[in-house]
Amino acid sequence: MSCAIWEERVALLAGGDLDAAEAAGVERHLNRCAPCRALAVELRAGLDCLRAAHAEPIEAERYAAVRGRVLAELAEPPRRRAVWPWAVPLVAVAAAVLVVVMTMKPAASPVPKMPHAVAVAPAVEPKRGPDRSLTVAAPQRTEAPPAGTHITARTEPDRTHASAGRGPAPPEVADAPVRTVQLATADPNVVIYWLFEEKGE
Amino acid sequence: MKTLALAAAAAGSEPEGRDATLEAARSGDRAAFDLLMRRHERLVLGTAYRLAGNLDDAQDASQEVFLRLYRNLARLDAGNLAAWLYRVTVNVCHDARRRRANMVPVEDAPELAATGDPQQSASEAERRALLLRSLRTLSEKERAALVLRDLEGLSTTEVASVLGSSVATVRSQISKARLKMRDFVDRSSRRRL
Repeated sequence: MSCAIWEERVALLAGGDLDAAEAAGVERHLNRCAPCRALAVELRAGLDCLRAAHAEPIEAERYAAVRGRVLAELAEPPRRRAVWPWAVPLVAVAAAVLVVVMTMKPAASPVPKMPHAVAVAPAVEPKRGPDRSLTVAAPQRTEAPPAGTHITARTEPDRTHASAGRGPAPPEVADAPVRTVQLATADPNVVIYWLFEEKGE
Repeated sequence: MKTLALAAAAAGSEPEGRDATLEAARSGDRAAFDLLMRRHERLVLGTAYRLAGNLDDAQDASQEVFLRLYRNLARLDAGNLAAWLYRVTVNVCHDARRRRANMVPVEDAPELAATGDPQQSASEAERRALLLRSLRTLSEKERAALVLRDLEGLSTTEVASVLGSSVATVRSQISKARLKMRDFVDRSSRRRL
């Protein structure tokens, strides 16, 4: 007959963990089951042996060592305070560097790769007149052309600063012809406008 | 049967929650804190010894427990100090054990004084060593439940309170632990024959 179902209850009985009713039921089983009786005896003997081992005193030096180490640690100044005086200026310097970098970023931001090929459109001779101005065509969001191939140059001398607000005011055009070169990049959202005067050959 | 209230009383504190030593320690009196450690050092180091398996690790754990005690003096009552210490000791030993999970365990070889019949003493010593080593075969929770219940003598309800488990769970853990230990000793004894 398998007594597996009794084993846990026998183990509890051996340690005095059953109430009176439960203990009586297990005792009745032990009276007629020799293997479980032997198990109960072994378990009780094991627990007695373990308790005896645990009851053996630990050397006083061990306790004293623990107390000494604890009191020594409590006597030390807190470690955190030693770290913060260095951490505060460090954080301040890091913040300052970050601000400088953020400020410089627009000027230093690299332009996407230059177009692979650049061509200058034929010069357009502007009409001579007192209020000639140059309007640069706004970039259009279109599918990206093959890299470095889309180049336009336009001058519209009869309109006055129609593109104001889109960027810096175009330079005054004097006698020299002004050319606008639109450079398409690999990024369809990035178009470079290059304005220059052609002064002689 | 030792209870936590009895343990607190035996340690010199008053279960009602008032303890002059504890109050003095709270106010920064290091001598009072030293006295507090002396009162509870057997509880802490003895429990840690059985949970950790060796005295060196038990000392490290005890040191950590007392440092935590110092940091938490303001919110501890004398009445629940023993339970708190048991709980923290178990937690600290579990943490240390997990950190050492990949390390080779130190052999537990308690030195026992030889008295009486040398042959019988050797046999008893061997049996004790085997039983103590069998603690290593238990899971963390089984081991903690067995140490608190069978070695420290807490009631099943107190063990459940310390470990944050139900009484039914603790009963299951300690019965399994006892059976595992018995099986370990049985197998080891047969191997030697």
